[in-house]
Amino acid sequence: MRCVERPDDFASRRATLRALSDEELHARFWALVERLVQPLIAEARTHTTPSIERSVLLRMGFSSSEAAALVRRMQERNLLGQGAGRLVLELARRTGLSVRAAGAALVEGRYWEEIGR
Amino acid sequence: MKLAPDQKLDLREVLDNLQQYRPRRTGWAWRTRVPHHQVGPFVLEDTAEELRRSVPLPAAHAVGNIDPQCDCVITTEIASGRFEDDLRRMRMAAWHGADHIMVIRTTGQSHIDGLIEGTPEGVGGIPITRKQLRATRKALDAIEDEVGRPINFHSYVSGVAGPEIAVLFAEEGVNGAHQDPQYNVLYRGINMHRSFVDAAEAKRIIADAGILQLDGAHNANATAKEAWKVTPELFVQHAINTAYSRAVGMPPELIALSTVPPTAPPAPKLRLDLPYAVALREVFRGYRFRAQQNTRYVEADTVEATVTHVLDTVLSRLTSADIQSTITPDEGRNVPWHYNNVAGVNTARQTLMGLDGVMQLLELKQTGPLREQVRELKERAVLFLEEMVERGGYYAAVAAGQFVDSGFFPARAGDGIVRDPAAGDGAGTVVLRASDYGAPVCSHFGDNVYAGGVGKPCDAYGGCTLCDPSKIQYVDELDPEDSVERRLQGPLAERAAGVVRPEVERHGDGVVCVTVFVPASPRVAEAAALAMARRMGLQAPEVISRRLMHPAEGSVFEIKGVLDVAVRLHELALPAPEEPLGDTEIEAWVRPRRLAVVAATVGEDEHSVGLHEILDVKHGGIEKYGFDCQDLGTSVPVERVLDVAVQRGACAVLISTIVTHARVHEAHMRRLHALAVERGVRDRLVLVAGGTQVTDELARACGMEAGFGRGTTGRAVASFLVRALRRRDETAAGDHPTPTPTGGGR
Repeated sequence: MRCVERPDDFASRRATLRALSDEELHARFWALVERLVQPLIAEARTHTTPSIERSVLLRMGFSSSEAAALVRRMQERNLLGQGAGRLVLELARRTGLSVRAAGAALVEGRYWEEIGR
Repeated sequence: MKLAPDQKLDLREVLDNLQQYRPRRTGWAWRTRVPHHQVGPFVLEDTAEELRRSVPLPAAHAVGNIDPQCDCVITTEIASGRFEDDLRRMRMAAWHGADHIMVIRTTGQSHIDGLIEGTPEGVGGIPITRKQLRATRKALDAIEDEVGRPINFHSYVSGVAGPEIAVLFAEEGVNGAHQDPQYNVLYRGINMHRSFVDAAEAKRIIADAGILQLDGAHNANATAKEAWKVTPELFVQHAINTAYSRAVGMPPELIALSTVPPTAPPAPKLRLDLPYAVALREVFRGYRFRAQQNTRYVEADTVEATVTHVLDTVLSRLTSADIQSTITPDEGRNVPWHYNNVAGVNTARQTLMGLDGVMQLLELKQTGPLREQVRELKERAVLFLEEMVERGGYYAAVAAGQFVDSGFFPARAGDGIVRDPAAGDGAGTVVLRASDYGAPVCSHFGDNVYAGGVGKPCDAYGGCTLCDPSKIQYVDELDPEDSVERRLQGPLAERAAGVVRPEVERHGDGVVCVTVFVPASPRVAEAAALAMARRMGLQAPEVISRRLMHPAEGSVFEIKGVLDVAVRLHELALPAPEEPLGDTEIEAWVRPRRLAVVAATVGEDEHSVGLHEILDVKHGGIEKYGFDCQDLGTSVPVERVLDVAVQRGACAVLISTIVTHARVHEAHMRRLHALAVERGVRDRLVLVAGGTQVTDELARACGMEAGFGRGTTGRAVASFLVRALRRRDETAAGDHPTPTPTGGGR
């Protein structure tokens, strides 16, 4: 994409801002920033990523390599949207295994048919 | 782990039992302000508590070796690639007043999708791993005990593994972190959706851990062609990261803006940079400021860099800074060297102490060009935001190249950084959360079936690692060949054998730097300088700085090279340092004997300060012990000094000789000795010389009993005189030769 080139037309553009007090100008600044940030934060609230899911598994007591293996396989099976941590915790509940044992079983390739839906 | 000031950091002890190590505190630590602080002869206004141990500024010797500390945290950035060497540098920097250690990550870690383990070697920084974080935090615990002040440990939560790094930092007691998704987008080519979604999680984690967040806006200064023209955009970058952090739940006191004065002389630096600094602090009132020093225009000349950094630091005092960051003066020419970290810290420390209390005397003008420029910058920033909104938001604005354009907004040069929202590292990896999405852990951001209920999301399985650190899985090493253990084998064996080599960065790297002025035209002079360096025995010599003095008269070069010299410490002839006698013992011996001493600055030499320091009771001089001193003043002929000494029956003669032109100081010493022998009074007199270029060895070679150089105290001289006179008394009956010149000097 070709970027725009433009001379400095600040003198004419500032006309709309001149009447504002400093405090009003600050308020306008922050209101615009809020408007720009809202869609970004909404996306973050409703989406996840492999790194977020690995970070959840780390917090549940898995090592970095276990977390990486689990998330990779869940990604391959399109399961990440349910949450890696939730999948492991629900499996642990159903099987009576500890969270770590349930995760280890998944790393070994077991129980995959049981998780998800 | 406990450090002794006279012992080197024991790396084996640092690495021992890291699997059991837990950080003893979490979160950021500010300095404790002490207003109206009496330190030595001064009342200081902008200071914090002093250190338990430190190396004071050089001029402190004139004011009782005080070492007052400014009220803002001082940062040093460390990036050698080997954390085991960095730890020693951290200790040195802490002794000079650094309490924020920023560890740069190895090249490429931003693009590694996941965590690294162990201690592999890095390039331009270190791979951030759990083991490395633990070792560093453990060493810093001991260093902060040694200096008596908390030290903040800091690194980066960026790249495609931000949330995992954030967990690691929270678990391992890291105190500060860079986190700004815009940095990923603009400079790392990482997909923007991925960057922002990851950032929300990472920010939530670091906020809950009390980690101070720095943003990445200062990088636009470092990359823009004309750094002072991106200032309107910098308000926007700071604001996007700040507002995003607030939306995630980060409290304002954990949000720090990373800001750089954008220019360097010959630009009219303060006139351009001050309005920007003022405007930023007004728009972002309530947030913290990390004042960084300028890197954009730092070239190879370390003095030029230092002057720019002093001006940057002046700007911090004229406005405000919670953290004063430092840039090493050699950053423009190599990966920073140990002692240049210390030099950078001292530039800030010296400048800030020099500016202590200055804002009680000054205020910034509230009318005229300052306010006009402040207002203009704010308006330009608002216009920048309006254009982003018109374009359709942040992603669309980046896609259109609105950021890091070298035009002073609204001017546009058309050279902005363009990124495609659908492309970049990690594109396509952002996944919509299902309606039953869950993350049963603390510090998680966004929709989550486990959140919002009673208790913590991790209660179902007894707690996450943030609640129960015993669940953390510690991985020691993955590749024993590329590990600290392997790297340390050689260095530790050398250390055990008592071998030392020169060093600037890594253990025993052998690098030295020499300064050579060559009186010839630049090209010829440079070739000659390199030839000279080779003749000195430097391997792989390289010119790291060249400064033209005159096109025909010459240039000065700094040349680095490897000096392959290993010195065995046990082979060094080190005379045991003689402890001076105590005040009481000296006085008890001197006073009853009514000993006369004659002193003078000899030759054509008008320097009197040094001798006063040694004689005068007000300066702690030898008079206070009861010596009857007669100071004959300055520019006194050696003959006259001896005449008076004989007349008065003095036991000792003290001559001061500062001027050394054509080695005249040596001539004076030899003449004094020869004359005393000639007149047959040499046995009766103890002859002592002092001066900035005088050493004990040199003075003895010239026939004196002793020589004293810079930093000598009256007590040291008095103690020497007492010992010398006692020896003379003890052997008075015996057959004792007078000292004779031993040669050596010229």
